[in-house]
Amino acid sequence: MKAKKELYQYTTAAILLIIAFVLSISVGRYHISLGDIIRIVTGQRVDDLTKMVFFHLRLSRTIMVVLAGMGLSISGSIYQNIFKNPLATPDIMGVSSGANLGAAIAIIFLSGSIYAISISAFLGGLIAVFTAIALTNMSRDRGISTIVLAGIIIGSITQGAIMLLKFFADPERQLAAIEFWSMGTFAGVTSDKLISILPFFALGLIILFLLRWQINLLSLSDEEGRSLGLNVKRVRLLVIIAATLVVASIVSITGLISFVGLIAAHMGRIIRKKNDFSTAIFSGILGAIILIIADCLARSISSSEIPISILTTFIGAPYLAYLMSRYR
Amino acid sequence: MQSRNLKSRIILLGLAVIMLLSAMACSKTEDTPHKDEKITIKDQLGREVTLDKEAERIVSGYYISTSMLIALGLKDRVVGVEANANTRPIYAMAAAEFLDLPNVGTAKDFNLEGTLALEPDLVIVPVRLKDTISTLEDMGIKVIAIDPEDMDLLKESLQIIGKATGTEDRAEKLISYYDEKTQKIKEIAKNNEESKKRIYFGGNSDFLSTATKRMYQNYMIETAGGENVADIDDNYWAIISYEQLISYNPDMIVIAPGAKYSKEDILEDYKLSGIDAIKNKQVYAMPSNIELWDSPIPSSILGTMWLNSILHEDEYSYEEFLDDLVEFYQEFYEISIEKEKISK
Repeated sequence: MKAKKELYQYTTAAILLIIAFVLSISVGRYHISLGDIIRIVTGQRVDDLTKMVFFHLRLSRTIMVVLAGMGLSISGSIYQNIFKNPLATPDIMGVSSGANLGAAIAIIFLSGSIYAISISAFLGGLIAVFTAIALTNMSRDRGISTIVLAGIIIGSITQGAIMLLKFFADPERQLAAIEFWSMGTFAGVTSDKLISILPFFALGLIILFLLRWQINLLSLSDEEGRSLGLNVKRVRLLVIIAATLVVASIVSITGLISFVGLIAAHMGRIIRKKNDFSTAIFSGILGAIILIIADCLARSISSSEIPISILTTFIGAPYLAYLMSRYR
Repeated sequence: MQSRNLKSRIILLGLAVIMLLSAMACSKTEDTPHKDEKITIKDQLGREVTLDKEAERIVSGYYISTSMLIALGLKDRVVGVEANANTRPIYAMAAAEFLDLPNVGTAKDFNLEGTLALEPDLVIVPVRLKDTISTLEDMGIKVIAIDPEDMDLLKESLQIIGKATGTEDRAEKLISYYDEKTQKIKEIAKNNEESKKRIYFGGNSDFLSTATKRMYQNYMIETAGGENVADIDDNYWAIISYEQLISYNPDMIVIAPGAKYSKEDILEDYKLSGIDAIKNKQVYAMPSNIELWDSPIPSSILGTMWLNSILHEDEYSYEEFLDDLVEFYQEFYEISIEKEKISK
């Protein structure tokens, strides 16, 4: 009975994801008819430009959206689990603010080219989290509250540094670029960028997947985990590093995407009424669906792109409110 | 006896002549304000400002007004400029002393005390510094707000500063230069009305950001005889996608001056290779080594002229444009420009 219900939940989510995916590859500013898409998929001849747009732009963008939605939501769900805190997301370790600082540094001091911004944002995210981990290790108590505190400290420092950079930025040219970056967009995603982040993203996700049993145990108290033979600290550290890789590789090319990680994780838990690794995967599917819908709107409401975080917030928050009022 | 009479008559006549002359001189000073007479100006916030005399110690809180002060030949009267003066090459070229002047901050963070310490008799700020204006006025400082957002407002702000500093003639000279050139540009544009090119104007941070309908860049494109492909009703750079740019399929791509990417970045991006502008190598970067002509600064007319020349090379050759450019900077900024340094 229970297994049946789970199967039903997974199948529904998977079907919705497929529908959203198909919708996403057929919506865009460059006109590609459904017939063309079918011809491309079945390997028939279409003109080169259409083919190029489809593979290098449309399909790459959609895949990136799916990866971003899954990555952010799975990490969000796992963080809520291991930190035993419903508000935890990878952001609490400072990965987003670190990436934001990295992007701002590239915009102001480096060439400001798209590649410089991506690399600098990626490194910024990693450096922020590793600094927070180092800070935790300086403390005698390496429990959750110390980790969170270290994350808050690093987050505040990077926020301060971002404010400082914004203050000195040229308002016409640089400030706006920093602001836009922090709102996120998939407009510039291409196959090259997708391929360049894929190794880091995959590495992070594979580590998380390999740690799935330990992650389930981490949701227990530290003492219980230890009594079951788990090296709590090491596993937690590995999970943090893996999730950081996932999130940093996503935001380095899209900019900040707010709220999806938090919201999809809650949805997953409310629907499944569970808190384990398979809920994290389920949340990942939900996150991908939300982000696809948001991105379809972002590119089709007007001829200019709407920053993705505006839409994720407006789509995600009301749905979460609905679930909260119904199930809690 | 008679000779004495004659003498006194001559003296009387002389006196009369002097009186008449001085009366004429008096009436003349009433027409054009003398240095020490009150000047009343209406600024671009619609405020009436009365100066006791022509401004002698001027603080400019805005790069556009600073550039105007150079163009009006007033650089010697400037005692303070906005922050980051070293990022504007024109200052080093035409008014190197500005780089050493105290800076009064930016529009985001205007330095009130620093401004007061300079004891200016006129402070020029952009209209968005409304709050600062009333604070400065409470402390007895005369302030005028300018708002050069388009060509007409630019002309008006030149007139305002001209009046406040007694340089109306030079301001009028600039304005008539703009009018004359604009007319010429528009004529060339009109002759080529049928073959209007569709232009994509790439923003400075990323070529996937573009100029929208209510921006100065849009005015420049339309005046120069082109059509902006991005039909977006906004007053700030819009972010678009690759797909959007491909479906716009512009005839020509123009890169904003000072952009963080190069012509080659666009020409070599295989994802854009289907666009007509790329196929025909019609990608141009607006020069940025003197000033950024895509904002309404006194020399921005050169941006429109540059674009006009790029669009209609046969009627307004690039060589002619360069001659005009050299002449403009020689006349109004008193500097000589080397033509070789100006690229397309």
